[in-house]
Amino acid sequence: MKRFLSVFLSVGMVASVLAGCSGNAAATNASGAAESSNAATSAVAGASATGKTFAIVTKSAGNPYNEKEAEGFQQVIEQQGGTCIVKHPEAATADAQVSMIQSLISQKVDSISIAANDENALQASLQQAMKAGIKVSCFDSKTNKNSRQVFVNQAGTKEIGQALMDAVYDISGGSGDWAILSATSQATNQNAWIAAMKTVMKGSKYSKLNLVEVAYGDDEPQKSTDQTQALLSKYPNLKVLCSPTTVGISAAAKVLQDKKSKVKLTGLGLPSEMAAYIGTDADHSCPYMFLWNPVELGQLSAYTSIALVNGTLTGMTGDTFDAGNMDNSPYKVVDAADGGTEIILGAPFKFDSSNIDEWKNVY
Amino acid sequence: MAGRSGRTISTDRKRYTKGFFSSWEFVLVILFVAINIFCKIISQNYTAANVLREMPKYLSEMFLLFPMAYILLLGDIDISVGATVCLSATVSCFASNAGFPIGAVVLIGLLTGLACGMLNGLILTVFTELPAMIVTLSTMIIYRGIAEIILGSGGSVSLNDVSGFSALAGMVGLFPYLFFLVLILGVVFTIVSAKTPFGRSLYAIGSNRSAAFYSGIKVQRVRFIVFSITGAMAGLCAVFLTSTLFGANTTTGNGFEMDAIAMAVFGGISAVGGKGRLAGGIISAFIIICLRIGLGEINMNPQVILIILGILLISAVLAPNISTKIKEKKQVLARK
Amino acid sequence: MNEQTPEKKKSLWNCITASREVSLLLVLIVLCALIGIRSPEFLTISNIGEILKNNAVIMIMALGMLCVLLTGGIDISITSTLAFAGMTVGMLFKYKLIQSTGLGFLIAAAIGAMCGAIIGAAIAYGGVASIIAAMGGMYIFRGLAYLVANSQWAGADALGSFTNFALSSNLGFGVINNVIVITILCYVIFFIVLKWTKFGRSIYAIGSNRTAAAISGIHVARVEFLVYVIMGLLAGFCGALSVTIYSSAQPNMVLGKEMDVIAACVIGGVSMSGGSGTVGGALLGALILSVIAKALPLVGIDAIAQNTVKGVIILAVVILNVVTKRMMDRSNLERRKL
Repeated sequence: MKRFLSVFLSVGMVASVLAGCSGNAAATNASGAAESSNAATSAVAGASATGKTFAIVTKSAGNPYNEKEAEGFQQVIEQQGGTCIVKHPEAATADAQVSMIQSLISQKVDSISIAANDENALQASLQQAMKAGIKVSCFDSKTNKNSRQVFVNQAGTKEIGQALMDAVYDISGGSGDWAILSATSQATNQNAWIAAMKTVMKGSKYSKLNLVEVAYGDDEPQKSTDQTQALLSKYPNLKVLCSPTTVGISAAAKVLQDKKSKVKLTGLGLPSEMAAYIGTDADHSCPYMFLWNPVELGQLSAYTSIALVNGTLTGMTGDTFDAGNMDNSPYKVVDAADGGTEIILGAPFKFDSSNIDEWKNVY
Repeated sequence: MAGRSGRTISTDRKRYTKGFFSSWEFVLVILFVAINIFCKIISQNYTAANVLREMPKYLSEMFLLFPMAYILLLGDIDISVGATVCLSATVSCFASNAGFPIGAVVLIGLLTGLACGMLNGLILTVFTELPAMIVTLSTMIIYRGIAEIILGSGGSVSLNDVSGFSALAGMVGLFPYLFFLVLILGVVFTIVSAKTPFGRSLYAIGSNRSAAFYSGIKVQRVRFIVFSITGAMAGLCAVFLTSTLFGANTTTGNGFEMDAIAMAVFGGISAVGGKGRLAGGIISAFIIICLRIGLGEINMNPQVILIILGILLISAVLAPNISTKIKEKKQVLARK
Repeated sequence: MNEQTPEKKKSLWNCITASREVSLLLVLIVLCALIGIRSPEFLTISNIGEILKNNAVIMIMALGMLCVLLTGGIDISITSTLAFAGMTVGMLFKYKLIQSTGLGFLIAAAIGAMCGAIIGAAIAYGGVASIIAAMGGMYIFRGLAYLVANSQWAGADALGSFTNFALSSNLGFGVINNVIVITILCYVIFFIVLKWTKFGRSIYAIGSNRTAAAISGIHVARVEFLVYVIMGLLAGFCGALSVTIYSSAQPNMVLGKEMDVIAACVIGGVSMSGGSGTVGGALLGALILSVIAKALPLVGIDAIAQNTVKGVIILAVVILNVVTKRMMDRSNLERRKL
């Protein structure tokens, strides 16, 4: 039997690693519970989430934006005395999210908030969850209307399209060539925003603006760099580049700034990633850009989940609910473009040289 | 041909042939039991009903394990299977939305996969000098690329009518249909590889391709058949995956090829060909599935799960090798 | 006189088919010419500089992969190693634990070498098949990259002066960008090592015939181990390089690009069963891939079809390789007949 010894040793080693990890997980849960019990006393009466379990599933691991959403969510849930489960899938795919939803059904959580990697692919699992009595809401990226009760939208699609279009108009001086650098050609968010921009552009005010191309950088720095450089050499008269994706905008900002190009950039980006590129002088490539606060998005999502679980919110149009001390509280449920309902966080926030230093350390 | 298991626990062949109890498969069975006990301890939600409900997504990946094991036995590799799954799923979704009955949709899915597999097989047998890895790498890009083109902007398709596919996802008691299909196919593939002339030719080709050729085995024909089967199985995987996802998108099947290879390799199938048994691969697949489900239920960071799988993968191969080496050294010392 | 003409033609044909590198070079030139016709700005000096800089990481790692493939192994953990090393350096800069550029590269290379050593030891001394060890490493190092990152990225602002390295050209006497200088330097070193040193020749020897190599006195295990350490070292170094080039460290850096590196080698005629392949081939293979990546958006192929076109081109080049090789062998046979 001696020859088995080494095999079992290795198994034992792995088992101890596992035990260690699970021990850690348990420890953090415990400390979380301790914090929350303190906070529970100060919680707003009537909005309490004591004894309930709330889960959040983000798009993928290793992304500070997703992490901030989860942070905001967790903050509120624990403040209200609930238990919070944070799940980041290993890759930004619907497959990975399906496994996580299944696992959460097994754990009999009370609600799931999810940022969907695919509009339709989660339908079967999410409906299974709803059948099991779990409240389902989406945030950041929606699922189709049949697989959710309500969608917590970071900013209205129209408003984002309008803000970006106005930025392009403003930076270009009202006329000239401009291009879009998107993530993948399949990204739901991106396509919705681009479509909204195109709708806004039909207005006579923007008639002198000429959208030359929508390029796709697949959210990879290398490919985004290639695409930006290609745009520059293909369109010598390009004036403005608009990139509504965090990876694309920082890759493009670097290309433009390094080349000292006259082309200016705007779009949606993370302040911490973009701080080095924001400024109105010739040395900086991006005069200003937009984003919403992911922490607040997470918080609103948490309040939505709590209201759904407590029954104060059903997800029907016209419902209102209290969201603690958030800016626009109480929030109202409105009709979404896809026939479902949504809650809108607010207008996109503008980052420029005056406030970037303050925000770059936040997210 | 004596030492068929990739992990010869003992180099002593006489003892090895003694049977099941000194085989790698036996270790895997023990490991499987241990993992289940471990998962039960760490999570109170680790119940049969929950595990079986969470299983279908992983089970459909097992369709890829069987033919992948054959391919590895041949000394080849196929990394295009994930992309084939994506293309087949896309095509069958569009077929279903075009109003074909479910039987025809399943057939279309299978045929799409088969066509992809046959193309791989054709290229590899016409240009025998080409390594399978590079050919399947390019077809991987191409198949997924075609799926992207079919899906168009938006990159995802959902089923208009889910009734047909829901029927596929049905259950007998606690067990999904899929579970029985996997078991049946597992038995068939295992028996074919262990007991038939075709199965033996796989081992022969994997051990020594030219020797197999000169002993009259039609090497290229066997390779073509195996790659075609792989494609068809990827189509089957796609159909069942669609029955849990109700749609397809450009990331469907991402990384499935690596999962299948990892299951096979962990099960004792040598990645350089000619060694290993499919039974080991099947047990190890269940070990990995149960571990993933169990750790998922305690909400462990998926990156940590990946690290654990990586360590398991390497140590599963390393440990027996080292014990053999130590034993050899002792024998040498004893002789001195 | 009439008889001489076909002979002359033949000698030109011989010249083309005599060496794989020449035929690859032809493919590259034809490719560039075709793209140049469609978009004239492709062949400008600044554009070529951009191609080299943007693909430096793949080009440098192709050298390590060349050595690994020459021994008959394979390493698919390299991009995970790259991400782990790059992410660690990015975090060190972000939290102001280090400030010196040189130190950043050193730490990244050391981490890479360590990762390579772990895999190399399992393969060379533990008897683990290279694909298995590398696959395990792929999971482990990528996981570690995520853990090190702890859901943070290091952006241009956080990296500070480290990003200047990829912008300046002080190593290239103010003419050539630093990144390109480093790439050229790597190629020169590997060319010399593989062609003229004992270590280089022992790598070829192991790949061609392991038993013969062992009998002729080569420490097979040691050389194999070193090859993976070198691969890891290059991957780690490229981690830091990639961080300076893109001014950004993210845990999912270059995910899946290991296949591009392997493809570059194979397109360049490196055999996956070991023993044959050259530095020149790896260079040409990497260049062909880089040109394709750069050209696809330039020549106006629809974004959605770009991946398919890329796959078809790779497949076509690889098959073309085989066909020329067959012709080469045939013409060699014919020459021998004469």
